[in-house]
Amino acid sequence: MPTTIKIDPVTRIEGHLDVEVTVDLVGGRQQVIDAKCSGTMFRGFEIILIGRDPRDAPLYTQRICGVCPVSHAGASCLGLDAAFGVGPPDNGRILRNLVMGANHIDSHLLHFYHLSVLDYVNTTGLLDKAPWMPRYVTPDMISGPTAATLVSHYVTALELRRKAHQMGAIFGSKLPCVGSFVVGGCTEAVTTEKVAQFRQLLTELRSFIDNVYIPDANTLAAAFADYFNLGVGYGNLLSFGVFDLDNSGSNRFFPAGRYTDGQFRPVDPQQIAEYVAYGWFTPGSCGHPGQAVTEPDPDKPGAYTWLKAPRYAGKPHEAGPLARMWVAGQYSRGISALDRIMARALETKKIADAMDGWLNQLVPGAPSYQPSSIPAQATSAGLTEAPRGALGHWIGVQNSVLSRYQVVTPTSWNASPKDDMNQRGPMEAALIGTPVADTNQPVEVLRIVHTFDPCLACAVHMVRPGQRVEPAARSVRASV
Amino acid sequence: MRISRREFLKVAAAAVAAGHLAPSAFAQLQKLLSGRNAPRVIWLQGAGCDGCAVSFLNSVHYATADDLLVNTLDVKYQSNLQAAAGDLAVSAVQAAGAEPGYILIVEGAIPTGAAGRYCTLWPGMTMQNALATFAPNAAYIIGLGSCASFGGVTGGAPNPTSAKGLKQLMGSDPRVINIPGCPAHPDWLVGTLVYLMTHNQVPPLDQHRRPLEFFGRRIHDNCFKRHTYCGEPVFAQQLGDVGCMEYLGCKGKHTYSDCPIRKWNSRGHGQSGVNWCIGARSPCLGCVNPSYPDGMSPFYVYLPPPPKPEQPVAPGARPAGEPVPPVRRRNPSS
Repeated sequence: MPTTIKIDPVTRIEGHLDVEVTVDLVGGRQQVIDAKCSGTMFRGFEIILIGRDPRDAPLYTQRICGVCPVSHAGASCLGLDAAFGVGPPDNGRILRNLVMGANHIDSHLLHFYHLSVLDYVNTTGLLDKAPWMPRYVTPDMISGPTAATLVSHYVTALELRRKAHQMGAIFGSKLPCVGSFVVGGCTEAVTTEKVAQFRQLLTELRSFIDNVYIPDANTLAAAFADYFNLGVGYGNLLSFGVFDLDNSGSNRFFPAGRYTDGQFRPVDPQQIAEYVAYGWFTPGSCGHPGQAVTEPDPDKPGAYTWLKAPRYAGKPHEAGPLARMWVAGQYSRGISALDRIMARALETKKIADAMDGWLNQLVPGAPSYQPSSIPAQATSAGLTEAPRGALGHWIGVQNSVLSRYQVVTPTSWNASPKDDMNQRGPMEAALIGTPVADTNQPVEVLRIVHTFDPCLACAVHMVRPGQRVEPAARSVRASV
Repeated sequence: MRISRREFLKVAAAAVAAGHLAPSAFAQLQKLLSGRNAPRVIWLQGAGCDGCAVSFLNSVHYATADDLLVNTLDVKYQSNLQAAAGDLAVSAVQAAGAEPGYILIVEGAIPTGAAGRYCTLWPGMTMQNALATFAPNAAYIIGLGSCASFGGVTGGAPNPTSAKGLKQLMGSDPRVINIPGCPAHPDWLVGTLVYLMTHNQVPPLDQHRRPLEFFGRRIHDNCFKRHTYCGEPVFAQQLGDVGCMEYLGCKGKHTYSDCPIRKWNSRGHGQSGVNWCIGARSPCLGCVNPSYPDGMSPFYVYLPPPPKPEQPVAPGARPAGEPVPPVRRRNPSS
């Protein structure tokens, strides 16, 4: 008989997520036959931005997410650079990459050790207090000396991720939430002293990634090899590309691209549309994020989430480190829960190693900022990659103030609900078939969900129920 | 893997040396931190970005986050870190809330529109309900970050979710301590927790219930950027320039915090941070102010400074406005 398990709150994520799965016996094994993911918090960020000075957007949008603020600042700056018709000097572009890289390293360490590892390790006798108690203890969990090692690395990784933030702050001003990212580059100056300080921390982090993080990911993979066959989902992957190697927008360390129905394809942002059949929005709210109107309908029957369902050419796509590595041709083992974990670990090394080279390209004393002025009117998009996947900011400027702002985050792609064609979101699809041994301890479900590194604060901030979003509805704030 | 107590005490000693803890308090600290009296903490996250929780993990000046979590605090509910999810997590926090005397940390704003439905922590429990449920048994209530303290960015105009902070919802409650910031500096939280453990009372607060120790000094008065070359004030003409950024929108004259001294992302025990907003030649946003963000933005536009309010000053602190010896950069052009 089918049983419904509601996991609310899903913890060890960022933001507020509710996952509801239905489990039943299929082929003699109790497994997930249906899944619904819903976001349970929203703030109305796009409404708050309307009418503000466009230059303020990177500062506001960073506050969407305290785990990946730099990615939001980066997306916003890329969009504003295009709208203002300015390109950052090489130093500015590289500084943005370095601070963003520091944020990726921090986020990936945090995700692996602090958000994920507890799903796989029996911490009895190792962490016998809150907040690690109460806990789930299942027979398949790692115990003994390996568990002790992983728990000790859990503690060490807290220190290392702090150092990743410290490293980012050298050029970012502070973390979380940097002040130095501005349209036209980066305000912080390049000095040999700062470069040396950055490199010292980077070297320490690279050593940890090579000698601790990747071996630990391998340990997990060896102990849970069955997860190479679980959490598979659609197998469609999407990356906007990240870490600009010049100002063209097309030459990136991780290239833009997608993998759809087993084929590598280029990305055309015009093919992105958001669907709302199962979100609390009117049917007229469908469309491209650069044009769609967001009109909420909180009492809509059958709807279950505040997320829209972004689709590329009508198909659900998964975003994240696996998508980036796969599209870049750097990872090809497979697409599954464990592949997400492995690709994330290997990507961390790839980014950290590349950052050392980027440091060498900095020119002390050369400018990192290019002045520009606010355009009267403009529309643009800033597409980049947050640690957890494809991130887009769509910007409209009228009368020199923001007239529209739409953010489509990686978790919007991954944790999206069913669309108008009745296709589940990637995370929902990945949950189908997941075995659940004990419905009182649904750790298998948490493991699959955590491999997507969901960030709900990012995803759910679209609208206010009961009020149509009209840019004109708010008095325009003139810049003084 | 346990972090030794000696290590923690070394940190506390460094704090004493830095003038942040009185020596008598240090002796008391040793006794109190022996583990038996670990303060219980319930950490609720409302409408925010979790950035203050991430910032807390950067703590190292007074004590590291791992030391605090493993050895010092008894964190009963913290949804980013806790092992349990769903019903197991909810029953744990309900049990913890039934026993009075815990420190309630509120992160993120409290949406009050649509009967609080804009933010739900677990089935049937809105953030607004959660505050009403867990506040009565709390010994102290800490508003962590500008959203929790004053509404912050979540409450930015037109405040779509009618988000409020502790100042608006329980402004006169003597248990409330606001630690604003976007995000809040980890030292501001940890320093306040140490004060609560050692003194068992709220620290001296200003009119917005912010601890004077951290929010008693005006940024501009302690800022190296305002200083002069050969007696002439130097103003930055564009972002990235050396000099005072007042005319580029810096809100350092509007803002009281110890950022210029403490800085951000501390290097280690007892040490200051590696950088800060103005240090990176970007204007202060005034993020610890009750009027942030609306009253402090546009961020890159000059805002005439207010007449200097009569601000109470922390004991031993330099009175706001008193001239500070200029700190000259070794190489002003770099």
